[in-house]
Amino acid sequence: MAQQSPPNSGRKVSRRDFLKLMTAAGTVMTFIPFVDWGKFLPNPAGNISAKAKLELPDGSQANIKTFPVNHAETVIYPKTNDQTLNKESFRLWQFIRLPPELGGNRNDVSAFRMYSQICLHLWCLWKYWPDPGRKRGECPCHGSMYDPINGKAFAGPASLQSPPSNVLPMLNLETDGNGNIWILPPIWSPNANGIVGFGRFLKV
Amino acid sequence: MVATVTGENSLVTFLRWIYAGIDRTIFMGLKFTFPGRFVSPLGFLGMITFVLFIILGITGALLMLWYEPELDRAWNSVQNINNTIPYGFHIRNIHYHASNAMVMVALLHMYYQYFSGRYKIRNEIIWVTGVIIGVLTILEAFTGYDIIFSERAELAISIAASLTNSIPVLGPQLRDAFFGGGFHDFVLRFYAFHVFFLPIALLGLMVVHFPRFLVFDVPMVMAVAGAIMITGGVFPIDLGTKFVPTSPPGITVPEWYLTGLYAFLRTQYDKFVTGVAWPGLLILTLLVMPFVDRYRKFSWKDRPLVTAIGITSIAQIMVTTYWGFYIDPNIQKSLLERLVIDPIFFYSVMLMLVPLSFGFTYMMIKLAKNAEVKAKLQPKKPSGKSSINIPENWIYIVFVALLAFQIYLNIAAYYAVLSGMKNFSLFIVGIIMLVFAGMFHIYRHAKTMAKTPPPPPKPMAPPAGAKPVPSAPSPIPAGLPGTSTSGKPLSPPPASKSAPTATQGPAHETTSTKPVSSGTANIAGATNEGRSQKTPSSVETSTPDPAGDLNGNVRDTKKIR
Repeated sequence: MAQQSPPNSGRKVSRRDFLKLMTAAGTVMTFIPFVDWGKFLPNPAGNISAKAKLELPDGSQANIKTFPVNHAETVIYPKTNDQTLNKESFRLWQFIRLPPELGGNRNDVSAFRMYSQICLHLWCLWKYWPDPGRKRGECPCHGSMYDPINGKAFAGPASLQSPPSNVLPMLNLETDGNGNIWILPPIWSPNANGIVGFGRFLKV
Repeated sequence: MVATVTGENSLVTFLRWIYAGIDRTIFMGLKFTFPGRFVSPLGFLGMITFVLFIILGITGALLMLWYEPELDRAWNSVQNINNTIPYGFHIRNIHYHASNAMVMVALLHMYYQYFSGRYKIRNEIIWVTGVIIGVLTILEAFTGYDIIFSERAELAISIAASLTNSIPVLGPQLRDAFFGGGFHDFVLRFYAFHVFFLPIALLGLMVVHFPRFLVFDVPMVMAVAGAIMITGGVFPIDLGTKFVPTSPPGITVPEWYLTGLYAFLRTQYDKFVTGVAWPGLLILTLLVMPFVDRYRKFSWKDRPLVTAIGITSIAQIMVTTYWGFYIDPNIQKSLLERLVIDPIFFYSVMLMLVPLSFGFTYMMIKLAKNAEVKAKLQPKKPSGKSSINIPENWIYIVFVALLAFQIYLNIAAYYAVLSGMKNFSLFIVGIIMLVFAGMFHIYRHAKTMAKTPPPPPKPMAPPAGAKPVPSAPSPIPAGLPGTSTSGKPLSPPPASKSAPTATQGPAHETTSTKPVSSGTANIAGATNEGRSQKTPSSVETSTPDPAGDLNGNVRDTKKIR
């Protein structure tokens, strides 16, 4: 190609080279729109842009005034009308009001935590145990234990995993004037709310 | 159409027309060989793998009619297939055991080709596609046992997803793309991969992977199919426990082809290194092997380094596979303590296996070469082969007896099904397949024996097998063949049979040990041509090989021809 162009016209581009360049550019431009089609593969259900009601198992919205201290409930988020999808472990969250010594008596959202219920080890469902002396999340399968204050695994196989796989994904909460609790739209990234089943980087 | 003078009716004309049409397609480029006698299955393990793939395709398609790839129905539908659907148990067991057999046979196939050096000289494409096919086969088997969605399947899915997630840079995106979000997506996607994406990729690669010469051995295929059914009858695969995320699962290990990987993961080291990088290293090594292997010979004895690497990989695979299965039986200890493998111990064993395997390989090569030299020095012993000479009428009797046995087995299988003994009926069907393999073998044997001319009568026949010099087959053709006595054996005496193998035997190790069918002989010829074309250029590039090796190689080539 280079030897076909006139030898003294170093700057000029021959017609042939120009057309080749245009063809290449045209090919690229033709297929560029398809790059976005890669979004066909991931599940878009996780893209939530509006804040959602924190709906307790009994159907009511969680409220700061009524939710007992040192207590936990399983919450489905994002909730659908499909009973099968609602059974999905990846949609289950533990909504915890911390014990008093960890600030559970405060009347704002800082008294609450909401972690993905999927154990980071092998995806069993862990649970918060409010018994005195326990007050931690425990996985029934291989005994991983989670600190309710930040969702970090402190014992068991999950604690041996390297970050971000040792800290539970967490949802951010908000209250309105009536004390009702809302779930803010999450960002599914290890640096933000975390990825369900895979963990989150703990911000220091 | 009325039958013509040549005896062709419309059906024959139609078949001829079809044949002429097929003549234009790629299928005629393949050369199928139906061996006329027993040949070692090592030479056509690839064909057996393909037959298993076809068996898996058929049984899998049947299972698709009942399986439901849904989060809370998958396990129940498999249970339905296994317990309620008539013959669902049989189909599922054949499918399961054939999948294991396919992975196993594919591995054997690969190592046979590896040690016999077949991947060189224009077979590189076949080798590389073969390695990729092997990886996809394991993925195919893996996705298969995951979509049952038992406890074990769930553990396997979670491990696979976390391994994918652990890949640097692109991992999370890949995980999101291939696994979706949540169990519901996983089951559906694994199902799609299992029944369509991976098989279609395998088929496409198989088109590239097929050599032109193929051996299809009916008895061996039947025997393999029978063995699968017998295994299914003796070790019927269970359903596992349905996965319930709130209840602790029992200790489960993955399928045997993944326990090696599982052992690595149980060291609790970094997921990417243990679960992706190490197996990736093995696959990469296999992929580049034909390009790294600069030996100009084919036999494993003449390629010590390559052989040693192969033996090392086998040793490490076997040790890790066993280690993955082993769980400390002491239930006093905590689960974690029982499961976690001490990485220092583990990796030092892995490292120790390298010199051990190398030493073993070099020792074996030395022993084999010594034995070769000794065999050359000593006068030729009569070959250990002894043929079974069955009179013609006894062949008929055996044949009829086998047929009667088959009828009996058919009735037995029927009654076993009627009385609900599913695995026993599967077992019997397996036996039927084996008996058919035997019948076909006898039929083939009798056919070839009928073709060979009856042996000339000898005045004083020494007992068979005691002949000192086998290379002199019947010096005096005394008497006409028709004048032989009535008690003629169907097979000729061993002397005339072993003569052709003796002439070409010791020149090259692979050709003497492997079955010499027409197809493989052709391949050997072709590869030698390719090698002799290559040698002048490789002298110029001055590889560190001594010239003596090259000379020996040329001599070797001549000997084969």
